[in-house]
Amino acid sequence: MSSAPDTTRSLVRRAYAFLLRPEASVIVVSVALVVYFELANQNFLTNANVRTVSQFVAAPVIIACGEIMLLICREIDLSVGQVFALAPFIMENVSDFGVPVPLAILAALIVCALIGLAIGLITIKLGIPSFITTLGMLFLITGLTLTISRGYPANAPDIPVLTGIMGAWGYSEIVWALVIVAIMHIVLRHTRWGLHTTAIGGNIVAAAEAGIAINRIKIGNFVLTSTLGGFTGLLEAFRVGSIDPLAGGSNIMFLGVASGVIGGTAIAGGAGTIVGGLVGGIMLGVMQDGFTLQGINAFTFDIIIGAAILIAMIANIHLAKLRGGGAR
Amino acid sequence: MSAAIRAENITKTFGTITALNGVSMQVARGETLGILGDNGAGKSTLIKILTGYHQADSGQVYVDGKPVRLGSVDEARALGIECVYQDLALVNGLSIYHNMFLNREPLWGWPVRFLDHRTMRRRAAEALAEIGVQVPSVELEVGQLSGGQRQAIAVARAVTSNARILLLDEPLAAMGAREARLIIDLIDRLRARGDIAIVMIAHNYAQTLEICDRVMLIQHGEVTFESQTATTSAEELLDIVRREYRAARGV
Repeated sequence: MSSAPDTTRSLVRRAYAFLLRPEASVIVVSVALVVYFELANQNFLTNANVRTVSQFVAAPVIIACGEIMLLICREIDLSVGQVFALAPFIMENVSDFGVPVPLAILAALIVCALIGLAIGLITIKLGIPSFITTLGMLFLITGLTLTISRGYPANAPDIPVLTGIMGAWGYSEIVWALVIVAIMHIVLRHTRWGLHTTAIGGNIVAAAEAGIAINRIKIGNFVLTSTLGGFTGLLEAFRVGSIDPLAGGSNIMFLGVASGVIGGTAIAGGAGTIVGGLVGGIMLGVMQDGFTLQGINAFTFDIIIGAAILIAMIANIHLAKLRGGGAR
Repeated sequence: MSAAIRAENITKTFGTITALNGVSMQVARGETLGILGDNGAGKSTLIKILTGYHQADSGQVYVDGKPVRLGSVDEARALGIECVYQDLALVNGLSIYHNMFLNREPLWGWPVRFLDHRTMRRRAAEALAEIGVQVPSVELEVGQLSGGQRQAIAVARAVTSNARILLLDEPLAAMGAREARLIIDLIDRLRARGDIAIVMIAHNYAQTLEICDRVMLIQHGEVTFESQTATTSAEELLDIVRREYRAARGV
């Protein structure tokens, strides 16, 4: 089995299989972009800029982890960016009662999980498409955050070690993102939860026929997405040092969804990878930072990002066809 | 031969329509029964009663001679009754081995339980080899297979999940001759094992006579003809149906 030519052949086969994966094209494009930006502008690969890129990348990637699970089982959460803004205010209000900050963080995450549960129950039990449920939630939570904050920003708590861990240290946010990506990759690929999420999105009749608890899994993925959204909001609040009632929003949600879809998650469900979400997020972050360094006008910038997202998605769908009917 | 499953005097009405009017059937282990009939004759209703999907208004079903209640698909499944439907219950985006173990996955680890991909791959390959279904690799996505191969995987899954009474709903529909051969051979091998009773619904008289040991014709919710396939022919069956059409047209 392990003779030398066999190993070589298996390596070649693996390399070929890798190149046909949806993530591969995105990685190739990302590397090309990094090379281009470094050649065009010597400041791209400096320590300070790499840190900045990592901060651009982290938040959308964590949000993508939740959205990918939802997209795979044919749901979506449009309100995750609003939960992102709400979570730090819950933490701040709870700690104002004299509750220690770690417990206040926990309380904020529990509230986010409950919001996810509410979204899930409304969607599944009342049969409302999640697009509509979460569109309603988007406005509802914005109003809630503005009411709680009275529209004013607040200062994030400053506790020596905790603040650093939670995002103030330059690389802590990307470390969190990578840990969450690793865990969610294992959940999706190596647990029944992930397999059943994929089965539901691929053929809901077959999943039901096999006795899979469809509602439980869908609701669970809504809870997961809201909780991750809230956690990302907390990380950003600690990093920036202030809590903004208009932070996150639809922008961060779309970046999360785009990261997932660029990385190969099928909008129609049934297929997707967490690692794809990571590389999709990296590509968007590299572009965002690179074009900023180039000094490109903010208006042009949106045109470039929009076109890049479209091109990446078109490439992805056509690669899927090349692979032969796998992901639709 | 004693019957693995036997239904007696099954009636079923939907509103004012009588789908089944006193239908009886039985099939033994190692035997294949073909059920023929037009659309709406009641074949599918009979199958759905045997799988627990519908409940009969009257009549009784026996499994291994014991009267049973088939109140739900799960109850029927617990008795070893499994149906492979025409619209295959497979997930195209998942691999063959994931499909074969869907919701019955072997797991490892503690406190978090992980999928045991290795065991699933090995056991899926073994199970397919055992009943002679050939695929290049159990890691292929089901969506990449042909219709016949998918049907074979669905049958294999039913058999490995311990089905001993296998109901096949139009297993050869929309299949070319070569694809159909794949399934016909598979049914032959399963019958040869001798521990599985097979009931298949079909349209094609020639194929049914070739595959099955016994054939039954259902018309207007009643069994109008039943015979060993060895002692009947497609002509005889066609004659019965032709008389029926003529009567309907008032000729």
